[in-house]
Amino acid sequence: MTESKNYRSTQVFGDYLIMLIAPFALAFIYYGASAFYITAVSVATAVICDAAASAVLGKRFRLKNLDSIFTGAAIAMMMPAGIALYVPVIATAFAVLVAKAPFGGGINAPFVPAAAGFAFSCVCFREKIFDYSFVTDAKFLGSSSIASMLAKGNSVHLNSGNLIDILCGNSAGAMGTGCILIMLGCCAYLFVKRRKALLSTLGFVAVCAVFAFFFPRVNASGLTSVILELSSGSLMFAAVFFMTDQSTMPQSNLYGVLYGVIGGLICMLMRLSGAYEEPVCFAVLLANAFARLLEYIPKRKAAEPK
Amino acid sequence: MKEKSPSAKEVLIKGALIHNPILIQCAGLCPVVAAATSLKNAALLAAAVSLTTIFTCVFASALLKKIQRWIRMGIYLILGTAVIFPLIFLLESQSKSELSLVLKIFLPLIAVNSATAVHCEQFSVKNTVKLAFYDAVAVSIGSSAVLLICGAVREIIGYSSIAGHRLNIPTTFRSAALPFGCFIILGFLAAILKWISAYRYPNLVADSETIVRVKPKKDEIKDTVEVEVFDEFWNEEPEEAPLEIDEYDEIFDSLDNIFDFSGEEDEK
Repeated sequence: MTESKNYRSTQVFGDYLIMLIAPFALAFIYYGASAFYITAVSVATAVICDAAASAVLGKRFRLKNLDSIFTGAAIAMMMPAGIALYVPVIATAFAVLVAKAPFGGGINAPFVPAAAGFAFSCVCFREKIFDYSFVTDAKFLGSSSIASMLAKGNSVHLNSGNLIDILCGNSAGAMGTGCILIMLGCCAYLFVKRRKALLSTLGFVAVCAVFAFFFPRVNASGLTSVILELSSGSLMFAAVFFMTDQSTMPQSNLYGVLYGVIGGLICMLMRLSGAYEEPVCFAVLLANAFARLLEYIPKRKAAEPK
Repeated sequence: MKEKSPSAKEVLIKGALIHNPILIQCAGLCPVVAAATSLKNAALLAAAVSLTTIFTCVFASALLKKIQRWIRMGIYLILGTAVIFPLIFLLESQSKSELSLVLKIFLPLIAVNSATAVHCEQFSVKNTVKLAFYDAVAVSIGSSAVLLICGAVREIIGYSSIAGHRLNIPTTFRSAALPFGCFIILGFLAAILKWISAYRYPNLVADSETIVRVKPKKDEIKDTVEVEVFDEFWNEEPEEAPLEIDEYDEIFDSLDNIFDFSGEEDEK
């Protein structure tokens, strides 16, 4: 049993790491060496904290589970390029030591550790996390992110030029989460490897799109609102990497979709009236809490006498 | 056969550690989470909890044994109020600075603290006044220790100060002062307390667990039906078990040996 879990963990997080290569490459192209430093520091922190937690708990630390490496890399991708290095260090340490290790490791964690780490850093270092003033070259909208623009109710007229910028993630924001095209590529990879997991992504993105269409935050057409909402912040990144997490999503297909729908609804409601310009990690954590309930329903139904 | 009365030491250890009202019984969490954001607040809450618990438990043991349960519950609330409101009046008249808003809300709520009612019902009305007093003291010590630790940790981490004195800590974590930060601290404290209890007092812990845990019968346990039933909804075959990936192993097996703390042999 333990053996098969290890291989499962290796494969799941190995796939995620392969998918993270593209966002990391784009972050390196846009932000240069700082993307590399932040990722390296974050991954190193995750590995050290995981090893330390294993030592304290008397467990064997298995690097090949890859969960700690994924946690560090995912948190780094959600950070702005100009962030002080201690912020990703603290976020990753929180993710590993508080959200992962006490529950028995990556595949057993009830909440996505990377989402927990990022949410923690949002609360503690709000000004730093949403400061996108570090710009190496000309960006669409300058140092103002699409998410902050939407939060202020400002719209932008979409044309073929700025649409490509938006879809390629060439706007101020987190290092590796802005490129919607790369996220679609990751979806394609996931479709080949674990298509069942994509159901929750589908539910999540569909609800966000429908919500954005009918309740636009900006004075623009429904379609413009959908494009801006989906390409802003880390929404697509969370939909692909966090909502498909093996350990937190319900195992049945129907409830997997429902889990995504709940996550998307919470995310859009928090975007509409929340305090943070990017609340997607809080939405993922709340959806994780609902996942336990959703898992319980089929068990309860199956246990009922026929 | 008459049950053997517990010793004073046993009552103290069980009340303060093994059945800690906040960490183990999760009673009276509200003031800890909402109001114990600094050492000063925590000390005031601890004093209020201790006074209320000791007075109510001793009173319940001495005079309320013959009274019906539904009446007793109301009397506990009246007794709590009788202790708390003079205390608040005393604090406001004696102290130079006013109580903070959060204390003005949560200090009166200690009058209806569930931890007090639980201990009165579970222990005080069934035992002698002396044992009820020991139990109340133990509960007060357990609650106060948790309150003070939470208050101190949250003030140090959240505001970089202790009892109002500034500390030179370069980074503060505002989340520690928020309720979710307190829940995380309580979780770690509960884990530490469980470990200490199991390590130091294994016999007392075992006694408590036989009372609390009710194991289900074997044929009542069902745990292998959920996935197959609901896969039919999509007319889809259940997912096959993932294949083993040998290339990951070759790279990481050598690295794993560096971090082997357990001294176990590889399960493979």
